[in-house]
Amino acid sequence: MPKLIIDNLPVEVAPGTTVLEAARSVGITIPHFCYHPALALASACRLCAVKMLDGPVKGIQMSCSLPAQDGMVVSTTDPEALKMRALVIEWLMINHPHDCPVCDEGGECLLQDFTIAGGHSRRRYQGDKRTHRNQYLGEHIYHEMNRCIQCYRCVRFYQDYAGGTDFGVTGSAGRVYFGRFEDGPLESPFSGNLVDICPTGVFTDKTGRFRARYWDYQFAPSVCQHCSVGCNLAPQVFQREVIKIVGRRNDQVNSWFICDRARFDKKGINDPSRPRAPRVDGEATDYEAALDALAARIYDFVEVHGPESLAFVGSSRLSLEGCLMLGELVANFDAASLSFYGDPAEAKGSQLATELLSGENVAAPADLASADCIVLLSVDLMNEGPMLAPFIRKAWLGGTKVYRIADPALLSGQQLPFDCIEAATLAEVPLEQASRAIVVCHATRTPREELSDVAATGARLAMLQPGPNGFGAALVAREHGARPFDELLAARKVRGIVAFESDLPVANLKGITVLGCADWQATELSQKAGVFLPTTTWMESTGTSINFEGRAQRFERAFRPGYPLKGLDAKYYAQSRYGEPAPGQPKTPPPQPPRIPRGEIPGGQEIEAWKAMARLLEKLGGELIVEPLTGSWQPLRDIDPEAGGERIFSLFKSSEPDTL
Amino acid sequence: MIPEQLKKTLEARVAHAFSAREAAVDVMKDLQFHYGWLTDEAVGEAAEILGLSRLQVEELATFYEMIYRRPVGNKMIHICDSISCWNAGYEKILDHLKARLGVEVGGTTADGQFTLVPCCCMGRCGDGPLISIGSTIYDNLTPELVDQALELERLSGSAAPEHQGQA
Amino acid sequence: MEQVLFRHNRPGRVVTFKEYCDEGGFNALRKAISEMTPNEVQQAVIDSGLRGRGGAGFSTGRKWSFVPRDLPGPRWLICNCDEMEPGTYKDRVLLEHNPYSLIEGVTLACYALGVRHAFIFIRRGYEKAANNLAQGLIEAKEAGLLGKRILASEFSVDIDLHLSAGRYICGEETALINALEGKRPNPRSKPPFPATKGLWGGPTVVNNVETLANVPAIIAKGPGWFKGLARNAEGAGMKLFCVSGAVKNRVCVELPTGTTLREIIDGPCGGMKPGTKFKACIPGGASTQFLTPEHLDVPMDYDTVAKVGSRLGSGAIIVFEEGCCLVAATLNLITFFARESCGWCTPCREGLPFVKEVLTRIEAGAGEERDIEILREHVKYLNYTFCALAPGAMAPLDGLLRHFEAELREHIVQRKCPFK
Ligand SMILES: Cc1cc2nc3c(=O)[nH]c(=O)nc-3n(C[C@H](O)[C@H](O)[C@H](O)COP(=O)(O)O)c2cc1C
Ligand code: SF4
Ligand code: SF4
Ligand code: SF4
Ligand code: FES
Ligand code: FES
Repeated sequence: MPKLIIDNLPVEVAPGTTVLEAARSVGITIPHFCYHPALALASACRLCAVKMLDGPVKGIQMSCSLPAQDGMVVSTTDPEALKMRALVIEWLMINHPHDCPVCDEGGECLLQDFTIAGGHSRRRYQGDKRTHRNQYLGEHIYHEMNRCIQCYRCVRFYQDYAGGTDFGVTGSAGRVYFGRFEDGPLESPFSGNLVDICPTGVFTDKTGRFRARYWDYQFAPSVCQHCSVGCNLAPQVFQREVIKIVGRRNDQVNSWFICDRARFDKKGINDPSRPRAPRVDGEATDYEAALDALAARIYDFVEVHGPESLAFVGSSRLSLEGCLMLGELVANFDAASLSFYGDPAEAKGSQLATELLSGENVAAPADLASADCIVLLSVDLMNEGPMLAPFIRKAWLGGTKVYRIADPALLSGQQLPFDCIEAATLAEVPLEQASRAIVVCHATRTPREELSDVAATGARLAMLQPGPNGFGAALVAREHGARPFDELLAARKVRGIVAFESDLPVANLKGITVLGCADWQATELSQKAGVFLPTTTWMESTGTSINFEGRAQRFERAFRPGYPLKGLDAKYYAQSRYGEPAPGQPKTPPPQPPRIPRGEIPGGQEIEAWKAMARLLEKLGGELIVEPLTGSWQPLRDIDPEAGGERIFSLFKSSEPDTL
Repeated sequence: MIPEQLKKTLEARVAHAFSAREAAVDVMKDLQFHYGWLTDEAVGEAAEILGLSRLQVEELATFYEMIYRRPVGNKMIHICDSISCWNAGYEKILDHLKARLGVEVGGTTADGQFTLVPCCCMGRCGDGPLISIGSTIYDNLTPELVDQALELERLSGSAAPEHQGQA
Repeated sequence: MEQVLFRHNRPGRVVTFKEYCDEGGFNALRKAISEMTPNEVQQAVIDSGLRGRGGAGFSTGRKWSFVPRDLPGPRWLICNCDEMEPGTYKDRVLLEHNPYSLIEGVTLACYALGVRHAFIFIRRGYEKAANNLAQGLIEAKEAGLLGKRILASEFSVDIDLHLSAGRYICGEETALINALEGKRPNPRSKPPFPATKGLWGGPTVVNNVETLANVPAIIAKGPGWFKGLARNAEGAGMKLFCVSGAVKNRVCVELPTGTTLREIIDGPCGGMKPGTKFKACIPGGASTQFLTPEHLDVPMDYDTVAKVGSRLGSGAIIVFEEGCCLVAATLNLITFFARESCGWCTPCREGLPFVKEVLTRIEAGAGEERDIEILREHVKYLNYTFCALAPGAMAPLDGLLRHFEAELREHIVQRKCPFK
């Protein structure tokens, strides 16, 4: 454990820690551009200069690439180090445009911060600024090459980390250029991370440019709900509209990055036609009235048909709190049914995962990076768990063999950022020879027997789930004896349902009454429901979801729901530039929310699904539950959303996982 | 489209290499020799032969001084502008060339015969000032000798191969 | 005078394989394979005092000794014939006259290092040298001196030629390795040094042409003999000096290390160009500091030249005459380096154009007093770059500020170049 002194503070760090990281560990930020914890060292920008006063090396050194050693005495404030850093800024500003006021990066720009911090304000270079041509990089990312400071982060991410091949660096000397061979959309499904990783404004998020500055945004730690990997991210919200979504660090799950679906798919949340008002038989009403109506209808229904004809339906996109509350609702009726999945395969698979996986045999996404043998077993990786791909790539670059047992139905258009050896069956893969093998599979597609084979070899499992909280839903399903909806249908007992954030296909519901439906999006089911209750999206909710590896992660409410302030017709404003109507749009802007003093937010009646359930339960004669995480779930309340989440296996010591 | 024979040669070159990338410069040079400059089409062909993306070929092509990603004349005129040739008066020779050819630095003559480009030290610093036209070196130049060289090269047509593949 | 590298040279043509062999060529290889262990070959090179002729002047034998011999996987040797440092043309002259010493030297180095496969990395424009080498490789192979089971021993070596497409930075050893691998030729960070992790991750030695071409003579005649060739105690062996600029004969000659500048200029160069007077010279290629008339008697060996604030470098001597503007000369040099920067690190990529802008203004009579401070800052802080290109680029500027500050100030005060 090297011991060193940084700015008079004694520091002790693990071997291999760099001086920059050692300084950071005691709260000293050494300015840097090219250094990024997730990327290979470049030592290119030379901004992280410090002066070594004593020890094995002396003089000006680059702290990002200097391993901390015993006896080092480091000064980050030595005049020579300051001068070096000031010069680096001056060199970079020779060509950097004076763009900040019209640059979408302004306010969240490392270059801006360090330029101010370095005190650079007078230009000594008297020549012209170098200029570049920009490229069209698709509908998501705007390219402004003049702002580039040549830190090489983008290429190191795009090619080395994410395995993209259509973006890179060309030219030499002062002409280096970061772009594509020719104009065209970036091909990597991780391209959006360029926005986060570029320390300046070369890449900005086209889908949210010029809407707000960093300090305007509401932020909260959130967790992606697009697939069961559960990448950590943070929405940047302005006036109740999600403007941008950025990656958030979680070393075990997603490192620093998110996929493009997570970043750019904001449509549902910002959808101007999102159902905002509770409805009873199609008529808008207030929440209280809608809940009363639903409670009355459920009461009447049970009176007439008996509780055994009633089913409460959730889904794998319902938060853990929602799943648990749904269990409570069912428990309120003796013989009512509970269901989270339509498809029995999904239900069984999900269930299987909760039965088989334990802290020992489950693999976190980051574990893939150090695996010595990887198998893709009937998964459509880039759809079902894209953020696993860069970790697999890392292992592959290090020499790990990746085998693919392909499901022909899933093969179309799979572009993986690593090479695979095709195998027909698991038996062809030399799993026994590996000591850190991981099999990536999908809960709904892997038969139990096959998994027993895997287990026999000691390989660990990354078993993707059909929904973001599939693992959580399955745990609750097990606790409350839920059944696949198809099975309930087959049994022909159910005659009425109450659905919460469920995607059951309506076609299956012949002769079944949808008494109530709660959702934040307009599903088929919501159209059919007698009572509709609007709920909040995960970005407007605080809650928990459990990813495929049994990691419970908390997300926090980033903003209160309601119509975005920019108006009632988001499309109009999205197309207009600086308030000017776009061609083909009416001259008068659509109405803003009425400007009258009011206590509540217009269109802001949505509440979290579990809260709607709690209130419904109360109306049905149950007790009001204010905290769904009770009993063995209680410890999850204390999960710090910014601390990486916690594996839930320890919560359920009593119910040992089945032996495989 | 490149002739089948050239394609075979290049593929053989790649097969001989320890890794495909190792042959990248050779492949680019040969394609450039074929087309006169490294056209977009040639980049695509190089990419295919090397198993890289076009961008990845571009990353290499744009680094090197002697790979041209823009059309050039039949023959390249390179004039060394480094220190020994500077000391020997290359600037006078450059001015003379510009006047004779009627082009600025980087330009191609109207008849498409020559492209004039300054380059760094040619490793013949004892013989400056000097130029190369195609693959021929003309050294210890005076304006008169430049005129003679241009005359000679104009007569010999466009056949001067500058970028032979493997030596 | 005794010649080592130029011993086999024929005027105006390349020596033939037969001539080279008749004059004792490949005897060193025979001797090494039959009488010496690889370690003994390495030790002889250490003892000879041979230092890298590529510019840095590091002990060749010691560099070899850093290569771990116990790692699995191949080791590599690369001969650096990038030779793009302005003023330098010695490797070309050598190879245009005689490719065989290098081929023998590379083979010997491979023997010492246990290398199975070597590359010779040749700059663009050296087609003649490359053709000589290609021919020589065929001849050596046919004679059983190269390829599988050399001279019927267990020792096998293949040598491949790699023809570059022109960039000075490709001469930097780690950039060269990237170039060979077909990657963008940016340098790599050191550590790890190529000796432990180089070409395709394997231990790799990069040596200059002249360095390796000296090895056969060291093995044939012994390290003591080689060392004794020097003119002074600091030197070892002979050195190729290639002279350009304002001398009567701009020649490339082989002289003992420790020969003085004056002896070189007045001897083989036949003195200054008629009607000119020595003002300054750059002793070791574009990336070395100016020397002045007071340095004319400095012995040209690595240590002594370093002591007077410059470097022997590649042994490329560029001579400037009285009346030549050294600000303009430095501007030319900086322009070269700015253009040849690989673009990886900030100080070099942006700082060199800054220096160029300042010098351009000064030369044009638009300089200001504060510009001198800017230049000084660059000389100091361009040392902290990713590779040695930028510090090398600053060497002439450093020399200018050290020895010719008055000339620089004249430009600023007179608001014009005093030599125009
Ligand atoms: C920018 C730069 C260019 C270089 N160019 C050459 C070159 O053209 N030839 C060469 O032999 N060494 C060159 N070197 C030095 C090499 O990095 C390396 O030190 C040398 O090839 C080692 O060989 P030696 O030990 O035999 O000198 C260059 C170094 C730098 C920093
Ligand atoms: S990239 Fe940063 S410094 Fe540059 S214009 Fe934008 S905000 Fe300003
Ligand atoms: S585009 Fe951004 S990330 Fe890429 S090199 Fe330039 S500044 Fe760095
Ligand atoms: S000093 Fe220059 S040549 Fe060397 S790495 Fe930096 S930019 Fe490239
Ligand atoms: S952060 Fe250290 S060199 Fe860029
Ligand atoms: S400086 Fe012109 S050839 Fe070397």
